[in-house]
Amino acid sequence: MASKPEIIFQGSGVSPGVVLGQALKLDSHNRAILRIHVDDAEAEARRFLRAIEASKEQLEALKSRLEEKVGSEHSIILDAHLLMLEDRTLNEEILTNIREGHANAEWVLTQTTERLVRAYESLDDEYFRERHSDIENIAERILLNLSGDRPFSWDSLPGDLIIVSHDFNPSTFAVMDVQKVRGLVLESGGRTSHTAIISRGLRIPAVMGIREILDSVVTGDRLLLNGDDGQVVVNPSEARIESMRGQMEAFGSSAEYASSQTAWTAQIKNGSPVSLRANTELLHELSAAKKCGAEGIGMFRSEFLFFGHPQGFPSTEEQYSAYRKLVQEMNPYPVAIRTLDAGSEKVFKNDYLANQANPSMGLRGIRLSLRAKKVFSEQIEAILRASCDGKMEMVLPMVSTVEEIWQTKTLIEKVRADLLRIPGVKLDPVPLGVMIEVPAAVLSLEVLAKEVDFLCVGTNDLIQYMLAVDRGNPHVAYLFQPLHPAVLQCLKHISEVANKLNKPARICGEISSNPFVAVLLMGMGFRQLSMNPLSIPMIRRVLHEIPLDSAQEIAGKVLTLATAHEIGKYLTEAVSRLLKIDLAPYVREITDKMTNYE
Amino acid sequence: MIRQSVLVSNNLGLHARAAAKLVRLASRFSSEIHLSREDANQQIDSKSILGILMLAAAKGTRLVVSIEGQDESEAGKAILQLFESKFEEES
Repeated sequence: MASKPEIIFQGSGVSPGVVLGQALKLDSHNRAILRIHVDDAEAEARRFLRAIEASKEQLEALKSRLEEKVGSEHSIILDAHLLMLEDRTLNEEILTNIREGHANAEWVLTQTTERLVRAYESLDDEYFRERHSDIENIAERILLNLSGDRPFSWDSLPGDLIIVSHDFNPSTFAVMDVQKVRGLVLESGGRTSHTAIISRGLRIPAVMGIREILDSVVTGDRLLLNGDDGQVVVNPSEARIESMRGQMEAFGSSAEYASSQTAWTAQIKNGSPVSLRANTELLHELSAAKKCGAEGIGMFRSEFLFFGHPQGFPSTEEQYSAYRKLVQEMNPYPVAIRTLDAGSEKVFKNDYLANQANPSMGLRGIRLSLRAKKVFSEQIEAILRASCDGKMEMVLPMVSTVEEIWQTKTLIEKVRADLLRIPGVKLDPVPLGVMIEVPAAVLSLEVLAKEVDFLCVGTNDLIQYMLAVDRGNPHVAYLFQPLHPAVLQCLKHISEVANKLNKPARICGEISSNPFVAVLLMGMGFRQLSMNPLSIPMIRRVLHEIPLDSAQEIAGKVLTLATAHEIGKYLTEAVSRLLKIDLAPYVREITDKMTNYE
Repeated sequence: MIRQSVLVSNNLGLHARAAAKLVRLASRFSSEIHLSREDANQQIDSKSILGILMLAAAKGTRLVVSIEGQDESEAGKAILQLFESKFEEES
């Protein structure tokens, strides 16, 4: 067989490493579309027809609701959709292909409708050309009904997959078998996207921002992915693979390098020990955290247990088993569970959805938990029960008033008392912390800190609220400046109050994974950082080389400077002079933010 | 077997609503009813909405209807009537 020609794509490498694997394409809902051989083609055909029937029932119901509300004039498009579902030409073709090809309904449906969509897209008339979206819409509905029928399983897939998709919802990591994923290639996204951060945490090499690669790749194609320089080669030649062999092996052994770094505790030169913990949201990330020598989980984002959960939210038992696994795996190091921090729209489909025009300032975090007390009590119960299996901590997100802490403590005591009434139940104390991420919490820090055992500074949200910048908004993203003097004054204040009251304060934001910022934080008096696990070995190494008094001197000077630009320039130069490590990419992390001013 | 020519004369052409009406009407007959554009060969099943929309028949397009089956003459009349009434859209 003649080998397929190489196709070379260039994107940006957002998670390092070179890997070879086979492509697995995901659709716009991050579902894998795979061709699976079915033995009983008749049963598969019936499954397809059931999905059609279910889709029709849903559309009929939707149509009658719409007609009640706005009259039949507007239900015409649903009428057309219903006829498309019944379309005998389409359905006969699909059924024939299922029967003759012994292929799964999802695959045949996707292949057939994709061809139809392309045919429509080639029409000259704009109205008729646009009908492709109706076809996609009904295909989507049928697919959903098919998957409700038999959930997709990763079991039968090979272990060297490279995911290829347009975009990628980080919560998809929670439902996939990450052990089988060697790499990630996306058409969208960039270095600072959440997915990029998680890929680095999971040590999955990733390239993002490759336009239109999906059209050139089919599931099963061989891909050579270079997460260092951002190159992806489809159908690479043997010669090319051979030339990259060394880099592939180097990536493989970098895991061993990371684990060799765990032999020594983090410590700043001539100073006190430093605790470096990992931020995680998935149980899969534990192995990366341990490999990188994390001394605990500084923040476990528990909402990832909730996202996409079939029942809406996980049961107490499910949560308990997840939390128990966390503390057992990390023992003797502590694990801090951050209680549910999601906008209500993500978790509670209907009850709390009422008009949140500004969700980041809406019903979320502790506000939502205190409203949905039953769900909150279940989470507290699961956390308390897991306390006997290791070192458990609990952190409350989005706190802006001390009353929220009081109410939560009352609830915790009630749940604890109820549990202790059960014979044989034993509970260990669970230190309580509060996320400092709202400016009000910074300014009333003494009041809040006296109520809790420790503080976690959520720098991503704090910067956003402090500077009134939505970093997802491209027009103002340049104002998201972690080194803004106001942000640094806040951090200094937090450090001073925490030290005065003798409450540990931990920085839990992406900024602590930048070595320059980490040095600055040490100089300000912080001794606990929590970050994506993959950054830990580098930070540990940098801190080892920086004398504490130099860090303090740098921090003192930085606080006198007027702009983020000056601060970034001074900080990177001053720290680089003290180090023998090449930190160029990290300098770019800081200076790239300033391009709008130059 | 009946073959007749029809003109798409309603303003919007054979768009979703008109196509839906045509599919529902054609499906009432047991005859096989096919449509094609006069300027192209491809025949489509008039009981398939995806086929009809694929014709992209705007106002002024001439179509050929071919009908074959037991109730072909009734079907032919009914379909001609639907086109002539401009799909009952413009009163």
